[in-house]
Amino acid sequence: MTKGLIATAAAGLAAAAVVATAVAKTSAPAGASQVAQCTNVSLGMLAPLTGPAAFLGQEQLSWVRFAVSKFNRQYGTRFKVVLADTQLSASLARTAGRRLNANPNVMAVIGGSTSQSVISTAGLFKRTGLVSISGSATRVDLTNGQFPTFFRVVPHDGIQAPNIVAFLTKRLRVDNVVVIDSQDDYSVPLAQAIARGLRRAGVEVSRESVAADETDFSSIVANVSGAADIVVFATQTASAAQTLSQQLREQGKRAVVFGTDGAYSPTQFKPRLGYVSSFANDLRFLPSARPLVREYNRFSRNKPFGTFGPPSYMAAWVAMTAIRAACADGRATRPEVTEQVRRTNVPSILGGRIQFTRNGDVRGAKFYIFRVTDGQYRLVG
Amino acid sequence: MDWDKLVQLLVNGVTLGSVYALVALGFSMVYGILKLLNLAHGDVLMVGAFIGWGALGWLGGAQDPRVAVWLLILLMVLAAMAGCGLLGVAIERFAYRPLRRAPRIAPLISALGVSFFLQNSVLLLFGSEFRSYETFDLVDVEIGIHWGPLNVWVIRIVVVAAALAMMVALWLLVTRTKLGKAMRATAFDREAAAMMGIDVDRVIVTTFFIGSALAGAAGVLVGLIFGQINHFMGFGYGLKGFIAAVVGGIGSMPGAMLGGLFIGVVEALSIGYIEDVTFGRLGSAFSDLVVFSILVLFMLLRPQGFLGRPEVKKV
Repeated sequence: MTKGLIATAAAGLAAAAVVATAVAKTSAPAGASQVAQCTNVSLGMLAPLTGPAAFLGQEQLSWVRFAVSKFNRQYGTRFKVVLADTQLSASLARTAGRRLNANPNVMAVIGGSTSQSVISTAGLFKRTGLVSISGSATRVDLTNGQFPTFFRVVPHDGIQAPNIVAFLTKRLRVDNVVVIDSQDDYSVPLAQAIARGLRRAGVEVSRESVAADETDFSSIVANVSGAADIVVFATQTASAAQTLSQQLREQGKRAVVFGTDGAYSPTQFKPRLGYVSSFANDLRFLPSARPLVREYNRFSRNKPFGTFGPPSYMAAWVAMTAIRAACADGRATRPEVTEQVRRTNVPSILGGRIQFTRNGDVRGAKFYIFRVTDGQYRLVG
Repeated sequence: MDWDKLVQLLVNGVTLGSVYALVALGFSMVYGILKLLNLAHGDVLMVGAFIGWGALGWLGGAQDPRVAVWLLILLMVLAAMAGCGLLGVAIERFAYRPLRRAPRIAPLISALGVSFFLQNSVLLLFGSEFRSYETFDLVDVEIGIHWGPLNVWVIRIVVVAAALAMMVALWLLVTRTKLGKAMRATAFDREAAAMMGIDVDRVIVTTFFIGSALAGAAGVLVGLIFGQINHFMGFGYGLKGFIAAVVGGIGSMPGAMLGGLFIGVVEALSIGYIEDVTFGRLGSAFSDLVVFSILVLFMLLRPQGFLGRPEVKKV
């Protein structure tokens, strides 16, 4: 009886998936040659707006809306945002990507938020010349030339991993480190690169892995040796890093947590002692950004934010600047917008200017390392 | 053999297993009475976690509670149980009762719909950020048993004790009271029970209330031990609770308790030892592989689970 019910449930889900795929396939993509009138232009927002990483997508969406509102006011434009929820699922990201591709008003996509969603969609966007600009996807091989219409305004993990390794070996002089990944396209390569770098530097490294939505790390903590100095946790969830940190204390381990950029959140990751890296400086620590932060707080009615939102603001700003340039004659094509994005040279709210390399990486970007003491963040590297 | 590690893993497994057992009990009770897989049960747990979090905030929060810590925890659990019990009654009334005579697939789809409805309602009401119980501020992690290899935070003791107390209370209710007798009769044969004068609708509603109240309590316990809650957490606990119910013998209450503890301990031990057992070929990432393999094995070799009875079809 139970087996019958389970089989029925599985069949129902499979049927739903087939229908969804069929519906997606019937929508013809807007072709590369299609010319859009510039009076009704939208930005696609490809992010996990619901699901386990909704905190990330919602923060980015809020900053993108802020950017659109500010840009429209400043330049008299009428940009809109079209939402495409990935729910942190590769297959849903692909379906959402198809929908954006098929919408002729979408001239640029902000996202995907995660490396996984970029892998699922950038190939689709390439076919129609639709540009996508991510404010948080950091996997190295996204910009190896395979996705010519993909750009990102944050540095890649090829910079993050060596930064973390150098900090651990030269500043903290660690001997024994545990490296944990959270089984996704972002954290596995990053954790591998960090572990490889540490081993090369003569550090004893143990590797562990947890599911992305795990909330209990007590059994992983039981595996952490008493000799371990640091537990590097490559995660997209700051609260997971906080729980790991507390459970290390609970079991009397001396190791402290070093969270990668996904763990950056002064409201959620606030251990007694820990470290966290970030692909962007925290706007709240930049005196020059205070007026913008005030303006955002008014706009969002004091929605809390970390380091995920501001880069997406910049991604949206870059996209709108490019579309506006491409629309100088009143009409634009997607490849024209991509070309304008490639030529980007705008000041960044995070300091410096945004310019891209040939493969879509942002020039001169670097990672920041913060020490957290009793929940207080201090820039140390 | 690293005994320190084994002891710690067993402590972790029993804590996790207690939560799974509470969830499995809810699954089993509803299945026993209605032969319905209430796929929204995990999300009721999630709602319970949020009710507990709301009660915590209302009572001053973890850093500045207005009442004694034990009373605070008790009130959080009671609030979640009451809220989720009523939610369970509402779900039964509006999502399942109208489909009681429909084909089997209909209530199953309805349950999936309720699951998404609850998730997205909480997303809408509370936003997408993870919410923290900040239990670590409420009770320092160093308070508890620290004896040789044994490190047990007092909150873990509270969680296991609370789960056991609820299981025993439920057991007494079902085996020693008139209501329990009516529940057993309804589970055995709904039509015959109705003919004997049992108000079957009332029994079903009460079953939903109790099962959902247990899920609500489990939600608060999860928040207390692991600190963080979010609108998506119900899926994982619902799934593991369902596996525990199947492994223990779906429809059997002692089976659900046993299944929960079994799955919790297996999960903890597999995280701790999978690498040693497979000579480094598999890491802790594959612990769920062990848990789900057990489910598949049970389905193949002993589909009735530990304590369930094989179904007899009468002709």
